[in-house]
Amino acid sequence: MFISMKWLARHVDLTGITPEQLADDLTLSTCEVEGIERFAPHMSDVVVGHVLEREPHPDADKLGVARVDVGGDEPLQIVCGAPNLAPGQRVAVATIGTVLPGDFKIKKSKIRGVESRGMICSVRELDLGDEHDGIWVLPEVGETPLAVGQPVAAALGMEDWVIEVDNKSLTHRPDLWGHRGIARELAAIYERELKPIDLEMPALGGGAPVSVRVEDPACSRYLGLAIDGAVNGVSPDWLRELLLAVGQRPIDLLVDLSNFVMLDLGQPNHAFDRDQLAVDGIVVRKARAGERMTTLDGEERELVESDLLITSGGDPVALAGVMGGEGSKVGDDTGRLLLECATFDATTVRRTSARLAHRTDSSARFEKTLDPTLPEAAAAHFANLLRGLQPGVSFPCALADAGEWSDPARSIHLRGDVVRRDLGVALHDDAIASILSRLGLTPTAAGGGFDVAIPSARALKDLTMERDLVEEVGRIHRYGSVPEAPLVGAIEPPPFDRRRQMVRAVEDRLAGAARFHQVLSYSFTPDDLLERTGCAAGDFVRAKNPVAPDMARVRREVLPSLLGLVESARRERDVVRLFELGKGYRPEEAGEDGMPREVHQLAMVLALPTTAADAPFDAGAFFQLRAAVDDVISAAGVTAPCWSSADTAHPAAHPVKQVAGAWSEELDGCGFVASLEPGVARALGLEGELASDVAVAVLDMDALLAAPPSPPTYRPLPKFPMVKVDVACVAPSEMPAAELGGMIEKAGKGAVRDLQLFDVFRGEALGEGKKSLAYHVVLQSDTKTLTDKDAQKFLGRLERSLEQQGAALRR
Amino acid sequence: MTDTTTILAETRARIADAPDVEALRAIEREVVGKDGVVASLLKSIPGLPAEERKGAGQSANELKQAVLAAIEEREASLGSAALEAERRADGFDGTLPPPRVERGTLHPVTQVTRELEDLFTSMGYMVLDGPEVELDDYNFEKLNIPADHPARDTQDTFYCSSPGSSASLLLRTHTSPVQVRAMERLEPPFRAIVPGKVFRQETTDASHEHTFHQMEGLVIDRNVSVGHLIGAMKTLLRGIFKKEIEVRLRPGYFPFVEPGFELDARCPFCTDGCSVCKRTTWIELLPCGLVHPNVLKAGGLDPEEWGGFAFGLGLSRLVMLRYGIDDVRHLLGGDLRFLDQF
Ligand SMILES: [Zn+2]
Repeated sequence: MFISMKWLARHVDLTGITPEQLADDLTLSTCEVEGIERFAPHMSDVVVGHVLEREPHPDADKLGVARVDVGGDEPLQIVCGAPNLAPGQRVAVATIGTVLPGDFKIKKSKIRGVESRGMICSVRELDLGDEHDGIWVLPEVGETPLAVGQPVAAALGMEDWVIEVDNKSLTHRPDLWGHRGIARELAAIYERELKPIDLEMPALGGGAPVSVRVEDPACSRYLGLAIDGAVNGVSPDWLRELLLAVGQRPIDLLVDLSNFVMLDLGQPNHAFDRDQLAVDGIVVRKARAGERMTTLDGEERELVESDLLITSGGDPVALAGVMGGEGSKVGDDTGRLLLECATFDATTVRRTSARLAHRTDSSARFEKTLDPTLPEAAAAHFANLLRGLQPGVSFPCALADAGEWSDPARSIHLRGDVVRRDLGVALHDDAIASILSRLGLTPTAAGGGFDVAIPSARALKDLTMERDLVEEVGRIHRYGSVPEAPLVGAIEPPPFDRRRQMVRAVEDRLAGAARFHQVLSYSFTPDDLLERTGCAAGDFVRAKNPVAPDMARVRREVLPSLLGLVESARRERDVVRLFELGKGYRPEEAGEDGMPREVHQLAMVLALPTTAADAPFDAGAFFQLRAAVDDVISAAGVTAPCWSSADTAHPAAHPVKQVAGAWSEELDGCGFVASLEPGVARALGLEGELASDVAVAVLDMDALLAAPPSPPTYRPLPKFPMVKVDVACVAPSEMPAAELGGMIEKAGKGAVRDLQLFDVFRGEALGEGKKSLAYHVVLQSDTKTLTDKDAQKFLGRLERSLEQQGAALRR
Repeated sequence: MTDTTTILAETRARIADAPDVEALRAIEREVVGKDGVVASLLKSIPGLPAEERKGAGQSANELKQAVLAAIEEREASLGSAALEAERRADGFDGTLPPPRVERGTLHPVTQVTRELEDLFTSMGYMVLDGPEVELDDYNFEKLNIPADHPARDTQDTFYCSSPGSSASLLLRTHTSPVQVRAMERLEPPFRAIVPGKVFRQETTDASHEHTFHQMEGLVIDRNVSVGHLIGAMKTLLRGIFKKEIEVRLRPGYFPFVEPGFELDARCPFCTDGCSVCKRTTWIELLPCGLVHPNVLKAGGLDPEEWGGFAFGLGLSRLVMLRYGIDDVRHLLGGDLRFLDQF
């Protein structure tokens, strides 16, 4: 919202206060000022000129050549086409070098062979209105003609500053949506008087009031003032300039006055041409399905049943609180008016303006919930201003006043101690009372505090409880004067938070030793990505108003978010390691409160260029990722789970190349590690040049939290030397390595300290359906030095147990 | 038979030319080895006249000693030459680029969040978590924002549906719902922060995102005043910017606090206006205020007994300020070229 300083000065004396000061003070006490700007700054460059003579242009019938005195040594010769240019006039001259609105710089020029040294401006060229059928003949000010050569702004007293206030900071203050409201704040801040203005209704004639019937409670008050004998036309300059300063184009006197009253008091109002109404009466009702009306911007609008209408003779004449109708708008020949000042329901107006995507100055104000006593003041203000300009107007009949409303003015009890406690300042009761009074609130000492009378303008939603008054005192007293205070009380370290600690340990290990990049993703997964990763099945929480139609689904799991990044990342580099700790939502497991179950997951992706056929068995992404997963589980301080071949049924997991981890029958599984499903890999674009060996893993953080902890434990260093034995086992292809490992452990009778698989081999030499696994085995005892004999015994035990399982030891 | 003097001279010359230790060993074998020159000289002695035998034996031994000495000398000199060559390190250029060390990274939002968590936990704050898919009730109603409240206009909310659920669900527009959840769950007094993801239905551009990170702070205690809030916020800013920061508190409207404030910090990047502070020298940093009595009631606390303050810190914004990031969309975009920088 734009506020004019000159306009404010109609309500409060601002002598000695700079625009910067005012902006700061408003910001610190009332609302956020976003900027200050001079009104029409170019008007300080355009100067008053005196037209000495005008002669026809030798080569162009419609042009004239004027000699204009602008206070220099010589008059300027200016070529001008305006028909109304005449000697003796005072005009606005843009001399060479002046920049006019639209970044239009005046240069010396030749027009049809005649030199022109400047421009005599029209109102439109100065951005002061739409008139452009001639140059602007400056008005007379006082007795003597305007001094030639001085800036027009100074000569006409047009200097003004425009303050832009952030509308959001006024959301809760309908009283600040007009200049008088802001002026009241300034009066309180500067301890100056709020100048009285005449808001008394003028004497009204004895005629019967215009018939007004309110049929819907969304209009709590409808006030209609009939005015006769108005003469519409151009508004006086002071009015035009104030409107221009706040960004409102002057239209004509009646519309300008209506706007002025709204911008002055914050009460939207509407002037109907009473002669254009179908019948001389108003009915306020909801729209009927299919009803249409043309608003005064010329648009035909289709209405719905929740729209509130002002109708006359059955036809809509205004969309309540949003915009008037085309048919009954005031025009040049309007003489009889019906001025509407009403109170409409905030939600109704907001819904209509939102539905039509048409916010107006009026709807913006009604949305804030307006004071139902304000229409009367606004009607009186309009009447008095018009009568001041046109003493001939009359008010033929009593005010029509319909609707059901009550004065919201109330009283709130305020304790001085509560003010002091909540603000943390030692503020005397007198100081509190003074601030309240300056704000137009009336405190009366009562019960060790005050009963504070809240006027209707602030009583609706803004000031409803004691704490609201604490704020009033605080902001005028200024929060800057509140002394900083330390929180006191016993500070105890917060309870140990294992989840937090585990999350950090996992993040640190992955981003550190494991060299993964942490990603944070959107919670929306695009439909297309879900399809490509095969993860589109299942129920999803969906946004009803997504940013894009294909971005409605709130993710069930984290993995697809990461998979969506692999292709571009692989273009960027060979090895891609990504992880994300995040949440997913499962509607099918909703709680009693109807909220979907929230899962906390760690998802990991490792992508490598496709490994060569002869690479070691553990060179591929799957085993590298398994190593990282085991490592991160150990970093989380959790016992290593058992990994077993399983069907995880995850659509992005390779049907065979996958393992699932679990600790025990009772505990939930921890998740899985898998190679990426080959079809998914292709769908993700990982083929050709980008063909990749990709492994994925998902760990459930809640399962990790529930898993048996495994803090580091000390084990005395070995006292006896170790014996290293290499064993090669030939086993049926389908026998899992984990089983072989178990047999080796068992054969060692507790002496196997370390077991490391170093070769996996399949080949003709072994025979059909066989594989060979070779291990380095470290044997060590806590009680004696192991000998070659012990090693041979170990091998013997191993050989027997292998043979029982259809495997063999290669000696 | 050859004269030992000549043999010695020839052998010495060869030793002097020997390029390495292997060549010396070959000469050694050839001259003083089992079947070498000296051995054959010695073998020939019995066939000599008696008076020559003694002299011949002597010369052969002298030859052997002399050759061995020459080899030793040459070997030593070769050794020191090798050392010297190693020390000379011809062609070494220490400025050649070393091999790349691949590394992982923590997301910048994680890094800044951790820093703040550490700061706050050191002051007795708990770190709480809350659901991203939230009930309307917690996101709005219990925070003193009833349906049709104008404040809902400025909160462009993603409303949600969930199959099988009739609850009014949405993606939380702020971390504030955790205020009431915390009051319901914890015994006052307590202090808590809540870092997390929040959502706004907004068209995205370099400075607007529909998903970003926030950190809520909440202190519930007896007799909490605006003065305490100011003190806590100053401590927070010292922690963030590692220096004393001038702040100002001005009125700000948020329905769940009363009075509510916008806290501006003096721009840490300039003294007379820059693009970060939009030439004002102030940065709008965190909305805060005393917890609204209606919110305390919604959390089951008696506003006459308990009070408190709350604040909301824009984590994403702070990360952008900290690192000078010019496009908020990088934060959740997952581009490795971005992530690699932190
Ligand atoms: Zn700055």
